[in-house]
Amino acid sequence: MRTYILQRFIQMIIVMVVVMLVSFIIVELPPGDFLTTLREQLSEQNVDPKVIDSTVEMYRARYGLGENWFFRFGKWAWSLMKGDMGYSMQHNRPASELMGERLSLTIWISIATLAFMFVVAVPIGMLSAIKQYSAWDHSFTFLALLGVSVPSFITALVFLLLSVTLLGATTVAGLFSPEYVTAEWSWAKFLDMLKHVWIILFIVGLGDTASTIRVMRARMLDTLGEPYIDTARMKGLSGAKIYFRHALRVAINPIISSIGLRFPQIISGSTIVAIVLTLPLIGPLLLDALLGEDVYLACSILVVLTLALVVGNFLADLALAWLDPRIRFES
Amino acid sequence: MNSPPDSDKVLDIRNLRVSFSSIAGATRAVNGVSLNVRSGEIVGLVGESGCGKSVTIRSIVGLVPSPPALFEDGEIWLRTRRGMTETLSLYKNMKALRQIRGRDVSMIFQEPMRSVHPMMTIGQQITEGILEHEVVDPAEAYDRTVEMLDLVGLPNPPAQMNRYAHELSGGMRQRALIALALVCHPQLLLADEPTTALDVTIQAQILELIRDLRERMSMSVLLITHNMGVVANLADRISVMYLGRIMETGTVEEIFKEPAHPYTQGLLASMPSLFSQPKTHLQSLRGVVPELAMAPKGCVFADRCPHVMPICDETPPVVELRADHSAACWLYDDVEASQGPDAVTARPPHGSDSTLGDSSQRVEVIPLTKTEPTADADQKKLADSDTDLLQIENVALHYPILRGLLRRQVGTVRAVDGVDLSIRRGETLGLVGESGCGKTSVGRLVTRLVEPSAGRIHFGADGRLEEITHIPQKEMKGVRRSMGMVFQDPLSSLNARMNIRNIVGEPLMLHGMARGSAVDERVGELLEMVGLRAAHQSRFPHAFSGGQRQRIAIARALATEPSFLVADEPVSALDVSVQAQILNLLLTLQQQLNLSMLFIAHDIAVVRHVSDRIAVMYLGKIVELGNARDICVRPVHPYTEALLASIPLPIPGLATLQEMPKGDLPDPANPPTGCRFHTRCPYSQPICEQEEPPLVPFADAVDHFGACHFQDELHLQGVEEIGEIHGPAAAAGGEE
Repeated sequence: MRTYILQRFIQMIIVMVVVMLVSFIIVELPPGDFLTTLREQLSEQNVDPKVIDSTVEMYRARYGLGENWFFRFGKWAWSLMKGDMGYSMQHNRPASELMGERLSLTIWISIATLAFMFVVAVPIGMLSAIKQYSAWDHSFTFLALLGVSVPSFITALVFLLLSVTLLGATTVAGLFSPEYVTAEWSWAKFLDMLKHVWIILFIVGLGDTASTIRVMRARMLDTLGEPYIDTARMKGLSGAKIYFRHALRVAINPIISSIGLRFPQIISGSTIVAIVLTLPLIGPLLLDALLGEDVYLACSILVVLTLALVVGNFLADLALAWLDPRIRFES
Repeated sequence: MNSPPDSDKVLDIRNLRVSFSSIAGATRAVNGVSLNVRSGEIVGLVGESGCGKSVTIRSIVGLVPSPPALFEDGEIWLRTRRGMTETLSLYKNMKALRQIRGRDVSMIFQEPMRSVHPMMTIGQQITEGILEHEVVDPAEAYDRTVEMLDLVGLPNPPAQMNRYAHELSGGMRQRALIALALVCHPQLLLADEPTTALDVTIQAQILELIRDLRERMSMSVLLITHNMGVVANLADRISVMYLGRIMETGTVEEIFKEPAHPYTQGLLASMPSLFSQPKTHLQSLRGVVPELAMAPKGCVFADRCPHVMPICDETPPVVELRADHSAACWLYDDVEASQGPDAVTARPPHGSDSTLGDSSQRVEVIPLTKTEPTADADQKKLADSDTDLLQIENVALHYPILRGLLRRQVGTVRAVDGVDLSIRRGETLGLVGESGCGKTSVGRLVTRLVEPSAGRIHFGADGRLEEITHIPQKEMKGVRRSMGMVFQDPLSSLNARMNIRNIVGEPLMLHGMARGSAVDERVGELLEMVGLRAAHQSRFPHAFSGGQRQRIAIARALATEPSFLVADEPVSALDVSVQAQILNLLLTLQQQLNLSMLFIAHDIAVVRHVSDRIAVMYLGKIVELGNARDICVRPVHPYTEALLASIPLPIPGLATLQEMPKGDLPDPANPPTGCRFHTRCPYSQPICEQEEPPLVPFADAVDHFGACHFQDELHLQGVEEIGEIHGPAAAAGGEE
């Protein structure tokens, strides 16, 4: 088990280094150099040439520009690790400042969406398999198909429309009520967020929940057909014990292993919804950065998202190993 | 009739009818089955697949999902701790049914590999059963589980408690499942093909265990199997089932000595046993088990029966031939009426021995008259035998075991480890051994489907042997024209998206031997040669039964008129009667086309039946090689003796298995030192652990080789050939 964790951990680091390298190459790709762009930008803003020189010099030293690429990569990577995400040329602010709250909100919403998906999809899928071809099964098959096929921004728009026309709401979008948007974090702000957040979870998580219901149902059906379930039945166990103790732990495997993959999917999937509902998430910022060729900001976001993917996968692997002895003993 | 049966019976099934509804309509899978099991008795329920055996046995404990199943009629009385209970009526009362399961009646299943929960330890799974039925503290449940694991012969029981399914071999899993089933001391054990998925040596161990536990735990067993040898070995009474009906019931001695029903006779004759005349046709039942919906009216066996009469359109009566022996057949009805039951002879009036064989050959184009094996066929072989068609020298196939992040090599699986073999022109060489011994790898090596790690392969289609060990694939393509291959699973070895014309014709087109309508013509010929209709070319594999698919696979293998055929377990996935038909077909084709054949199988009785010479393989090495008859009559390697002893012979009461091989096949990545068999060998001596015995000629025998240090001193027990089965008296052990 320990070697397994160590192996996965080392793999994780390797993946991270490769992704950072690729990101760095992307940063370096545009012709010219960040300093020339910066110099131009600053002179356009009629900044004092002396200040321009000192600023440029500061960045040259900070990022080791002018040195060889290997050195520069090391510098960049090191500053990333220290939490310095670089400088957004578009917004004229440090990238970390821009990402700050958005990043943590995004991560929390993603985790909450995953939890929502899990809590809703697993029981529904399980019951659909146990009561195969029942009214319950048929209706959730229909709903799941609907959920998979309707894009989330349509759901978001429909939701906006309904809440305005039917409920007469004035502030439907956003993560907070207007009075809290710029307020400091407080208990009241948190409660206000909770009021808004479930709608977002529903809209963002609907597609994934629907497909997870289908996966869970299919896996549960497969598992219930396995001979070891007959063995369990012949022990005289009750239905609940067979379903939960014997079938569930086998059937849930692929769902757990897919969690790591879902994480970045949810982040990018929420982008459009975040734009429609004007949510302060990381997705719209990334889109913005990409459109504005704001390379440092874009790369930093990419690296952070990769980190989320890799860590998510790592955690999923640990959970799998904990659940499934076959994986635990593999190495 | 709604009264409980007398107390002697543990199980009494009366007139059970179960049907299944589907879109195609309802079919009756179990049609009036009556069956009982008495105290301490082992009853065998025998029949081919699709005959409703499993549905019957699963109905006892409510394991048949309903719907789609509909229980139309019948009663199932089971002796429980609360007295005789009718279980069909308990279906609505799941709680009561659950209390019976595991405590009064238990079940073990066909696939031990998949019947143990993969994510729970063995200990958890077994104690769970105890805690479900009895109020005991966990410590006591733990102790009882350890005790039970010890009883079923698992080594080091406390250690097994914490192990998972994947750490156990198939045989050990079946032992664990038996422990699980018996831990609450049920009075009845239902065993659904408990040994079918296991190797022969392991099968023998499990059968022995069941027999032993029956005594020690004083329980009864209802055993389902398709293998007549297994029932002969284990059962006290037998019921033969066909298409949802019981055809014949009797004591094991009666059934084997005087099988009354033509279906029972056919099943017995279909089995290649260690006593049958090698290289002759088996007296197979004709045709295959039909779909339930297509079953004949009246007697369901009528369309395959060699004694069919006009009256068979009506449902046959169950005739009591004598106490404890009855058959559902019209053949005995008039006899009973005129002479009374006492005068009945169990032989059908038409004489079962001769007629069965002839009618079964209907499907073959060229029926082979029963040639004496010593006649011209053998002489031809002698003339040919000077020229080898295939020679392999010291061939090895090693797989590296890679571990860790850097995929470092931490070991080697020696699947094949230095094998020398030759196959003569027109000869069939049988290669036999347990699964994992490397026999399939040898077949793949000689056809160059895998690259050998060492050694040389010579092959000569037209007389001259040429080395093909490392020739490029382009040249190999030309050589492959002379090689055909038939695989074990006829379903997965035929592409489901291709029609038969393209499947069989593909080799012709690949080798540029035919094009356009010439392909159709040749495919038609080939199909007729294997006993199918030429007109069926446009059909797809799913339209054929297992046996027919294997015929298609044979037709494909023979399309390019090869001189060499590799048949890798060609019959082990088939039912007994179909198995006999395919063996007959292979024998016919081999003699007709003068094929050389490498016949790979795990069943030494099957191998003996088709082979001229046999090579016995163990953990990547040949341990014995010789004439098929010599090997079976006078084996020189203890492993061969073990294989022979493990085959359950269709002779009741035969004392086989004096010294069974112990344990499982060792890990091929880490084979034992010295003689690889020494860990399981009953005759093992200190030298066997140190020195590896070479394959050397045995005593003064020509053409008989063994790889045992003591082959000249040991007198191993073989099976004397007696041509036909005449009953227990004729069964004989080898020389002492």
